[in-house]
Amino acid sequence: MSTLLNPAPVLLPPAAPRPARRGARAGRILGYLALIVASAAVLLPFYWMVVSSLKTNNEVFTLPVTWLPSSAEWHNYVDIWTRSDMTTWLGNTVLLSVVVTLLQVLTGSFAAYGFAKIRFPGRDVLFLAYVGTLAVPWQSYMIPQFVLLSKWHLSDTLWSIIAIQAFGALGVFLMKQFYESVPDELVDAARIDGMSEYGIYRRIMLPLSTPALASLALLTLVNTWNDFLGPLLYLRSNDLWTIQLGLRTFISQYSAEYALIMTGSVLSVLPIAVIFLVGQRYFVEGIATTGLKG
Amino acid sequence: MNRSITAVLGAATVLSLALTGCSSGDDGAGADGKTTLTLAGWSLATTPEFKLLADGFHQKNPDVTVELKEYDPKNYDTQMIADLAAGKAPDIYVQKTLKNFYTYQSGKQLLDVSDVAAGLKSANGLSSYQVDGKTFAVPYRGDSWVIYYNKALFDQAKVKYPDGSWTWDDYAAAGKQLTTGLKTAGSKALGIYEHVWQSTLQGFALAQTPGADLASGNFGYLKPYYTRALDLQKAGAQVGLGDATTNNLTYQAQFGKQQAAMMTMGTWYIATLLSQQKSGDADTFEWGIAPAPQADKSTTGTAATPVTFADPTGLGINPKIDKGEIDAAKAFLSYAAGPDAAKALAAIGITPANTDAAADTIFAVKGVPTDAVAKFAFTKHDTKPENPVGKYTAPLQNILNDLHTAVLSGSKDIDAAIAEAQDRAKNEVLNK
Amino acid sequence: MTTIPAARRRRNTLLGWSFLLPNFIGFALLTMVPVVLLFYYAFTSWDMFGGSEWTGLDNFQQMVRDASFRTALGNTLYYTVFHIPLTLLAALGLALLLNKRLRGVAFFRTVAFFPYITSIVAVAQVWNMLFSPGYGPINAVLRAVGVDNPPGWTTSADWSMPAVIVVGTWREMGYFMLIFLAGLQTVPGELYEAARVDGANAWQRLRAVTLPCLRPTTFFVIVMLTINSFKVFDLILVMTNGGPGQSTLVLAQYIYRKGFEENQFGYASAVSVVLFGICFLVTVVQFLVNRRREA
Repeated sequence: MSTLLNPAPVLLPPAAPRPARRGARAGRILGYLALIVASAAVLLPFYWMVVSSLKTNNEVFTLPVTWLPSSAEWHNYVDIWTRSDMTTWLGNTVLLSVVVTLLQVLTGSFAAYGFAKIRFPGRDVLFLAYVGTLAVPWQSYMIPQFVLLSKWHLSDTLWSIIAIQAFGALGVFLMKQFYESVPDELVDAARIDGMSEYGIYRRIMLPLSTPALASLALLTLVNTWNDFLGPLLYLRSNDLWTIQLGLRTFISQYSAEYALIMTGSVLSVLPIAVIFLVGQRYFVEGIATTGLKG
Repeated sequence: MNRSITAVLGAATVLSLALTGCSSGDDGAGADGKTTLTLAGWSLATTPEFKLLADGFHQKNPDVTVELKEYDPKNYDTQMIADLAAGKAPDIYVQKTLKNFYTYQSGKQLLDVSDVAAGLKSANGLSSYQVDGKTFAVPYRGDSWVIYYNKALFDQAKVKYPDGSWTWDDYAAAGKQLTTGLKTAGSKALGIYEHVWQSTLQGFALAQTPGADLASGNFGYLKPYYTRALDLQKAGAQVGLGDATTNNLTYQAQFGKQQAAMMTMGTWYIATLLSQQKSGDADTFEWGIAPAPQADKSTTGTAATPVTFADPTGLGINPKIDKGEIDAAKAFLSYAAGPDAAKALAAIGITPANTDAAADTIFAVKGVPTDAVAKFAFTKHDTKPENPVGKYTAPLQNILNDLHTAVLSGSKDIDAAIAEAQDRAKNEVLNK
Repeated sequence: MTTIPAARRRRNTLLGWSFLLPNFIGFALLTMVPVVLLFYYAFTSWDMFGGSEWTGLDNFQQMVRDASFRTALGNTLYYTVFHIPLTLLAALGLALLLNKRLRGVAFFRTVAFFPYITSIVAVAQVWNMLFSPGYGPINAVLRAVGVDNPPGWTTSADWSMPAVIVVGTWREMGYFMLIFLAGLQTVPGELYEAARVDGANAWQRLRAVTLPCLRPTTFFVIVMLTINSFKVFDLILVMTNGGPGQSTLVLAQYIYRKGFEENQFGYASAVSVVLFGICFLVTVVQFLVNRRREA
């Protein structure tokens, strides 16, 4: 029993089998080179974003493209802070992202356990309904939803964004799939040991699914952080604006200031990039189940 | 099946009603006789016109305060539709595009303001807001399309400035001449920049071709305009649509950074160009405006009235306004469309609907070209709407936008594209 | 399924719902109610401001005659058919490659995720410019290797969809890589050891160990890819806006046009219902296939 509940760390397969050392090193260098070239290609749009943020407005879209600004306009970064209300926007965004992520991860993984490990009539149909709503484009029901939330006096409050973002079907679906890869035998054994379903969820499932929880948290965070249409529709008071809404509204006031648009985009991407860089080990260095399946 | 749907809906409605309680928002006429109106606007920090109108009106009517409610300029209609649907929209709201006026009017979201319209002396574009003899909004801005030209580049290429006598063939010939002239002079600038919008060709074609009617579903009138544009693209006298879209070219940069010697554009660009030249986003050079090129000689020359196009910008009243505030709101509309507001708007570079009252003011603004041709171009024109109000306008314009990109990218030839557009218009739009 | 006693079943139902409830309340009120309303509006001439008339199947009959709807549906299927396998392979490949203890792997993982978080305006701009027929580097390379008439990409009716598919794949591969990475952590290490002892090579280990263990993750990725492809919207909007002509017009964009631009919300709702129906069918098939494989 104890071996069942004490998960062993994953043994990752080594990068290359281990033939002659020199061959391995050459291969590794080639591999790195390929990765670096690929990275450069992938990062090209981001590079363009950074460069454009340092240009003057009418230099941004030109023919042919200029890859280096004629002179770096660093003041764009100062301007956007002094002329706009970035601190408020950042504060709101962080608050929303954290609350939405917490709610989504908690309620999502909780519901997912019900879907994955408890059999009851109507379960599969309900689950399909969950997944089915993902297929309806938000634009087609955003007005009825808006009218509903307005009637509940939630529009123009931060609650509205929490309400529409936190209970999405994505989290339930993702977590359910991960719980299904946890062998039923493990759960049954715990049940025989007299553990309650809630105990199994908390003591077995949650620890086992750290990588999934972490990726769900990150994906939710990114989506909330980058959401534009939701805040656009719901948050009208300036002091409630999120970073995406604030930046774009700020920028569209100066409609042709494309350099500032890119400055704003760079600034809104950076926090996410940092979170990813720092937190990414949690997505992969989770704990795997012991080999009951197979 | 019908019944079960109704049952589900009933349940949903009961549920939402139960959670709703009652909702009503009241503001407005207070006991002290003071009234507060709310007015929708966008980008308040950089679009001073709304505050200008609100303050100007308050000065004349100290009992009425106009409060501004800010919207997003690019998503104005989406936000406004949502607010109207939820009953949260302001008392007075702007008809930002004429294309969407039909949505609001047919959705019964505009109050009849015929009495306000009856009191207006001159207001370009008023007729666009009239349906079945009733008026549902009044215009306060009335732009129109003109030629902008760069005097320095014209001089460099040794081409004569436009003088109001041009037909489109003259315009095309000048564009080619400019391009070769500029190349010889060692400049990389092209003769013409036409922005990627369908309006650059279709707006003129619809306004200037006798008998052309969008709602007829016959689009043959577009052909000469597209043939000319394709020829200019082929001759290299203007950037092709493909290169302009893939490189996201902006007309502000193309003209402001002297990449093109001339372009057609609406009069709203006057204020933008002035401020960009001041801020350094545009180069400093001498420029002018001239009447738009004409379909034939019958409307050219300063003795005639040139035909051009543009949609007005208007103000309408939300029917959910408190009964006691309707008179104040109507007074505001009369003020905004009247001569005093026109002068105030012109002073900040905006073309008011009442151009007669405003011409002197706008030419006093520093940097605005004041030659006779410019004055003529600004004051005298027959401006037709780009989007004649009607049930079919929006879907037909979408079809014609597909035609625009297909033809100018070279994916389809103009005859085939017109045939296809007419087919689609008949089968998808006009049969409803 | 073995027969379960009634009392046990009732207990399970209660238990199951107790797990679902916190999420379900929010989901039902905020998503399900509007979606159900949408289904109702599909049978009306709704105009968003509350004015609506029951029109029965009119909207659906109109759809049958609507050539633009067929074009949009065809384009959506075109996008879906290529986008799903390409993204799946790219994401899985990236995940396998970056699920290793390499120096700097954290950096490369972050890079792979970058396309997903980079501003879509910048993405569209840079790709459009790379694809630019006359000035772009892609066609410059093609000409250099001897292609006389390189395609016009986003400015040509035939090549605009392939161009959009490439960018869509590039943008989403990092997102699904992340999910695959998480999924790979559930593969028990002992299985690899056992396979290696049996003399299986890397390819055989992938087929015999990794892929079977990844099945629940793969199912999730495929379903989400299907749904995302059918709903593709913002990428098209900024890259080509449906053009040139109607060559990249997709269903979600068609719904937006009909609703917000042309004020036919009833019709737009009907198209949404059809989109929902297609996605739902595909998902149910995937669900059944997945369950049969598991059994």
